[in-house]
Amino acid sequence: MNELSTYLIVAAILFSMGLLGLLQRRNLIGMLISIELMLNGASLNFMAFNRFLAPEPAVGQIVTLFIMGLAAAEAAIGLSIILALFRRMHSINVERAQQLRG
Amino acid sequence: MMKWVLFVPELFYVSMALVFFLFSLRKKVEQKLLYNTAVILGAVGLVVTVAFARQHGMLFFDAYRVDLFSQVFKVFLALGTFWVIFACSELRGVNPRQHSEFFMLISICTLGMMMLVSSAELLTIYISIELSSYALYLLVPMRRISGDLYVETGIKYFMIGVTASAFMIFGISFIFGVTKSTYVADIARVLPTVISEPAAIIGLILALCGFFFKQALFPFHSWAPDVYQGAANQVTTYIATASKMAAAAMVIRFVGFSGGESSLLVQLLITLSIVSMTFGNLVAIIQKDLKRLLAYSSIAHAGYMLIGILCLSERGFSSAVYYAMAYLVMNFAVFLVIIMVAEDGRNLQIKELAGLHKRSPILALTLMLGLFGLAGIPPTVGFTGKFLVFAAALEKGYLLLVIIGMINATISLYYYLIVIKAAYLLEPVNPYPPVRVDGRARAMSMVLIVAMVYLGLFPDRFVALTEAAARSLP
Repeated sequence: MNELSTYLIVAAILFSMGLLGLLQRRNLIGMLISIELMLNGASLNFMAFNRFLAPEPAVGQIVTLFIMGLAAAEAAIGLSIILALFRRMHSINVERAQQLRG
Repeated sequence: MMKWVLFVPELFYVSMALVFFLFSLRKKVEQKLLYNTAVILGAVGLVVTVAFARQHGMLFFDAYRVDLFSQVFKVFLALGTFWVIFACSELRGVNPRQHSEFFMLISICTLGMMMLVSSAELLTIYISIELSSYALYLLVPMRRISGDLYVETGIKYFMIGVTASAFMIFGISFIFGVTKSTYVADIARVLPTVISEPAAIIGLILALCGFFFKQALFPFHSWAPDVYQGAANQVTTYIATASKMAAAAMVIRFVGFSGGESSLLVQLLITLSIVSMTFGNLVAIIQKDLKRLLAYSSIAHAGYMLIGILCLSERGFSSAVYYAMAYLVMNFAVFLVIIMVAEDGRNLQIKELAGLHKRSPILALTLMLGLFGLAGIPPTVGFTGKFLVFAAALEKGYLLLVIIGMINATISLYYYLIVIKAAYLLEPVNPYPPVRVDGRARAMSMVLIVAMVYLGLFPDRFVALTEAAARSLP
């Protein structure tokens, strides 16, 4: 097995773990962390492709930096909505937020 | 010519967001002043975007492409934003203290989507789609009604949205790996030669997920009904019109990457389109809430639009652009009626429309033409849109797909007619108060009625425009 596919497999595992966590968790903070895992999988992919394949060695790294920055912004927005939910329902369990149906 | 001239529309929306940011810093802002400022700035934004519609060129180390395709979509986006702001005169659904932030987020979201349609580099695409999404994540829970519904809506929209964007960036990483470039022009050249590799096709499909989410296509539709119902009427209008446009533009650009070499991708898109149309139309039949009904109809319309896109021909792309424009006009007409009838910003049940033709004839007419357009009845703009899309599909020989699309259009007529029946034939059990329609709303309805009929009867110039826009794609 060559080195690139090792990295890709690790990234795919990270991504799937994140997706699994997102579907399984009932705690909103846990779901937020799972999403970060998925984004990290993507970042790892970018770094690996950048290291082994890309002619321009900086592109993948820059993309990874931007993903980190955007993930931070995303977490801030997510936490602020979760906080608003907590103020109203006194819970961050997603099962409590199930009034819209049909 | 100075290069920054190309970027003027975007710069304008940046400064518009700044103005509302300054408004939001003040302790007390007069509503009237804020609304008038917003309308004036929105109108100026539209004028600026139209004035710069004929520009073309590249910016920021070729990461930003200004061409006719992007400029046409920018004009539509500016138009949608202006209409939404125009319909915000009362804005009862949102806490008065947050009104300036509401307008600020609308401007930022428009900015993000304008950058999105011009992006010619994967990182730029990712950043601008996130910029517009983040503004929407905050706009959705901004509602002020009794109950906890709106925060719940916000968290659902956020969770599904960030998951879709994680899929998208994961897919983009594979596209980068296969083509070794992040420039759209290079990718469009290289990708068709390597499309048989599993990594390429998986990357493309995963990347499309992010845009399918924004378009509310079938596997990513689950947010649409809840968000349409839970968000303030004006925010729903914005999501249903402007946000859909930007997503359609990006799906056209991304599907164009494959260059028609992959039959797997085409088959997948055909399946998605059929499932999306059928599911949306069948579930819409049982809805009681008008906004929820429109959410399911929007899922169906994403399917129709995809028919034009999956033809992968210039004719198909131009028909999809025309359909997106028609959808903007028709959908806005229906939402304008919702905003006007539900004065206090509540959700509107279909039976509350009873006797609308007496309470406000002009709104009833707008509603009828909008819904006839959505169903695709001539002479409205919706008929022309559907005709062009189906014609493009027939040219490619997708007869079965067109037949299924036709059957779906008939199904959709049923539930649109239920709404029209409520507005024209039903008498209310206990009389509702007359709807207050000020001069502004009346003028707006007139413009929409004329636009819907005119675009339906004389589509030639606009079809030529969309064809030129589709030709300018890389």
